[in-house]
Amino acid sequence: MADADFQRDALQHLNALYNFAMYLTRNPPEADDLVQETYLRALRFSHRFQPGTHLRAWLFQILRNTFLTFYRLREREAAIAEDGVPDWDTPMFHDTPLDEGVAMEAHTDLERAMRRLPEEFRTVLLLAEVEGMPLEEVARVMACPVGTVKSRIFRAKERLRGLLKDYEKK
Amino acid sequence: MTPDDQISDSDQQLGRRLAAELPRYTAPASLRIAIVQATEPTASRRPAWLSPLLAAAATAMVLALFMLPVLPRLQPADPVDQIVRAVVNEHSRALMWGSRQSQVIPAALPWLQEQSGIGLSSAFAGDDRLSFVSAEPVYLLRQRGLAVHYRDSDGHLVTYIALPAADLKVPDRARVQIERFRPALVKDSGFVAWVWRQRDVACFLVSDMVSADDLERFKDYFVRVRTATEPALAY
Repeated sequence: MADADFQRDALQHLNALYNFAMYLTRNPPEADDLVQETYLRALRFSHRFQPGTHLRAWLFQILRNTFLTFYRLREREAAIAEDGVPDWDTPMFHDTPLDEGVAMEAHTDLERAMRRLPEEFRTVLLLAEVEGMPLEEVARVMACPVGTVKSRIFRAKERLRGLLKDYEKK
Repeated sequence: MTPDDQISDSDQQLGRRLAAELPRYTAPASLRIAIVQATEPTASRRPAWLSPLLAAAATAMVLALFMLPVLPRLQPADPVDQIVRAVVNEHSRALMWGSRQSQVIPAALPWLQEQSGIGLSSAFAGDDRLSFVSAEPVYLLRQRGLAVHYRDSDGHLVTYIALPAADLKVPDRARVQIERFRPALVKDSGFVAWVWRQRDVACFLVSDMVSADDLERFKDYFVRVRTATEPALAY
């Protein structure tokens, strides 16, 4: 696929990728950087993309991997610098703290609850329910079996319902 | 209960709610512009003439490297300068790598005469200032000759070279009076050489003693070598 064609096709998914980036980073400038880096990487490695396969899933996969590589590394370094305790000692599916620092304001309880979900749960819900991706594509983005995706969706919704109940009580 | 079974009506409702109520963020126009600018196909940024030019330059460079051994070298035009350049090269080779086949005078004199075509009826074999290192035949500018290497107490290597000199003319402008001798002083590539003739033999004494102080000592070395060494064509 020529670079120009590839660029045109890839840009059709810009809004979906930006939305996903916003829910991952919770910060517009960082979402901008993440999406831009995603496109740069996609163009650089466009020769590896097999035409006919799902470009959307491929782009989401690049975006998520970039997020995990750079943003998590940065969070981890910050965590170590502040309290000297390695961040990876914490459980994998822990909820995001309420205090989100410079993160942008959430408008609804649903949005607030989504933001508190661990990244793995937030991602499966966004991809499967919001973007309407088939489970096979979600599995490709998250590099895990379809069964794991189903399990995570179930647990994510359970966690989300719990958070929403807490907000209703308050 | 499997995860499939667990995706109940309630789950589907929550899924629909997520799709309907969760705010969707739209990419700002500036981001689209930035991405388009940053990911413009590289070929369009490169001028059309640049690729063939680079290819031609690369081909020329490969050809030049291939032809380098047969390209003409920059050689001094003057015959004396040419021969001094060759003598200096031989001296620097000995300086870097030592002599090829170290031999001790006078045991090696017959062998050296046979190999070089130059006989030494007498030779400077070293003294308290200049010690003998080695002697060897050499082949410079398509002529056989001999080289004798000495080293002084400061570690300077001093090389005496004798070559057949049928048509070598010692340049008058560079001649220096040293006692009863008038050799020429020629500098080349950071080295300095005394050049003189003894009958049909061109003689050279090369060293790196180029400073004013060193040059006085180098004159003394010349006198020592010159008075004690008598070369002649063997055939």
